[in-house]
Amino acid sequence: MSADPFDSALDLLRRLNPKHTAEHLNNLITLAPDLTEDLLSSVDQPLAVRRCKQTGRDYLLCDYNRDGDSYRSPWSNQFDPPLDEGGVGGVGAGGSNEGAGEGAVPGERVRKMEIKANEAFDVYRELYYEGGVSSAYFWNLDDGFAGVVLLKKSSPQGGNSQGVWDSIHVFEASERGRTSNYRLTSTVILSLATKGATLGELDLSGNMTRQVDTDLPVESDESHIANIGRLVEDMELKMRNLLQEVYFGKAKDVVGDLRSVGSLSEGQRERETQREIIGSMRR
Amino acid sequence: MSSAKAIVSSFVEGAPPGELADVIADIKTLTLSTPSLVKELGPALEKYSEEQFITAKLPGGSQLVVVSAHSSLGDGRYYDVESSSSFAFDHATQKASAVQSYVLEGAQADLVKSTLKALSPYVKEHYPSAAYGVYSIEDDSRIAIVIVANKYSPSNFWNGRWRSLYIFDPSSGALEGSAKVDVHYYEDGNVRLLTKKLVAVSVSSGTGAGIIKEISAGEKKYQEELNRSFTSLSEGAFKGLRRQLPVTRQKIEWDKVASYRLGQDIGGGSSRR
Repeated sequence: MSADPFDSALDLLRRLNPKHTAEHLNNLITLAPDLTEDLLSSVDQPLAVRRCKQTGRDYLLCDYNRDGDSYRSPWSNQFDPPLDEGGVGGVGAGGSNEGAGEGAVPGERVRKMEIKANEAFDVYRELYYEGGVSSAYFWNLDDGFAGVVLLKKSSPQGGNSQGVWDSIHVFEASERGRTSNYRLTSTVILSLATKGATLGELDLSGNMTRQVDTDLPVESDESHIANIGRLVEDMELKMRNLLQEVYFGKAKDVVGDLRSVGSLSEGQRERETQREIIGSMRR
Repeated sequence: MSSAKAIVSSFVEGAPPGELADVIADIKTLTLSTPSLVKELGPALEKYSEEQFITAKLPGGSQLVVVSAHSSLGDGRYYDVESSSSFAFDHATQKASAVQSYVLEGAQADLVKSTLKALSPYVKEHYPSAAYGVYSIEDDSRIAIVIVANKYSPSNFWNGRWRSLYIFDPSSGALEGSAKVDVHYYEDGNVRLLTKKLVAVSVSSGTGAGIIKEISAGEKKYQEELNRSFTSLSEGAFKGLRRQLPVTRQKIEWDKVASYRLGQDIGGGSSRR
C-alpha cells in the first residue's frame, strides 16, 4: 500500500469529481501544506485566458509563463503586470533554467523557436479548433530545451449544451547531434454538460493523460518545430479518439450495465432461441 | 478556509461508487500527523451510506438490503421489509450485523407491501444487479421507494451506480423523486458522468402496481433520452470543440506550416476569439 502523502493526494484527485479539481487541490493544500509546490506543478487545471496589452492577442496562462503574479505573453514576450526590474525572480535571457513559475525567459535561440512554435500552433489551432486560443512557452535545458503547448476552446454560450476543451502538452527535447529525443506528456481536460426537460441534468467531465517518448532526426531549429508539431498533432488525434471512446462509449455502456432499457428475461430468451437455431444448423 | 474536518468530510462525500475504502485510505495517509481526524469521519460516513443507498448482505442471507435515511430506525439500525428484519450497519466497513425480526405495521404497511410486490419483478426485469426497498416515512403519511444498482470493475478502472428515489403521497396521489447516474472511469485519467433527473407525476390509482407502472415508464423514457444525449453530445458539443481532422481531411504538413499562415491570412481566417 502506498503510504506516501503525495501519492495519496494524486490518488484522491484521480477519484474525486474532476469538474472541481481546483477546489480539491485547494483543500489538499490546506490539509497538507508541505505538498503545495509538488501538487501545483503536477496537477493540470483548466487554463485561464488573458489579453496581451502590447499585441491585443489572447494568450493562455500556466505555471510555465508565470513569475509571481505576472504572466509572460508569447506574442510580445512581455510580462503582465511588468516585473519589478530589481526583483526578477527568474534567470535572465540566455541563462539556463528549468523554471516554471519563476519567470523562465528562454534564451535568444530558444525564444526564436518559441516565436515559430506560436505561429505554427496558431495555424494548427485554426485548422483543428476553428477558434479558441493557443500559446507555446519554451525554456532552456542543459542538453536542449523544453516547452509547453497549450490549446483551449470553449463552445459558444447559450444553447442546451456546454463544452470546454483544454490541451496541455509538456515536452522535453534532448539534443543529441543529428537526432533529438522528445518526451511528451499530454493532458486533455474536457468538460461537457447538457440539460433538457426529459433529460434533466447531465455532466460529463474529466481529464486524461498520455505520454510518448521518441527519437527523431533534426536538421535545423525549424525541424524541431515540425517534429513537435507532428508529435502534438498525433497525440491529440489519439487522445480525441480515446476521449470519444470513454466519454460516449464506455460511459454509455456502464449505464447500460446498470440498467437495461429492454426486458432482461426477454433478452435471455432471445439469446437461448438464437443458440438453439445455431445448434440446429450445425446438426 | 475550510477546517480540516470539513475537508476530509467533503472527500468522503465525493467518493465515487465503490471507492470509499480507497478514499479513506488516502485520507489516512494525508492526516498521519492528526490521526484523530479519521475518527471524526463518523457523521460523514453515515451521510454517505444514507445518500448513496449503500447495500449490504444480511449475515447468512444472500439478498441485498439498502441503507437510507428512509429506512433508518436510529442508533445505526435500519430495516428491510422484504426480509422482515432490522440490522445494525457499520458505515466504515459497510457491513450489516445484529439482525432482528422487524415487522412493519401502521397505516401504510399494506401499501408498502403491495408496492414491494410490484417493484420486485420490475427491478429483476431491468436491473441485472440491484437492491431495492419500500419504506413507510413521515409518521406513516408517505412511502419511499428506493432502487440502487452498482457495478464495480476496479480492475478495468471503472465503477458505476444508478440510484432512484421516489416518495409517494397516498393522500394526493403525487409521486416525486429522482433518478441519478454516477459513472467513474479512471485509467490514466479521471472521467465522471453525473446525471440527475427529477420526476413529479401523479398516480391516480394510488395502488402499488400503479406506482411501479409509472416508475417503469418514466425510467424507460429517461434512459432512452440519456442514451440519445450521449450521441447528441458527441455529434454536437464535442465535435464543435475540436475537429478530428482539418477541413482538408489531411494532417498538417509541418514543413510548410509557414505558408499555411499566408493562405490563411488571405482567406481572412486569422481570427482570434
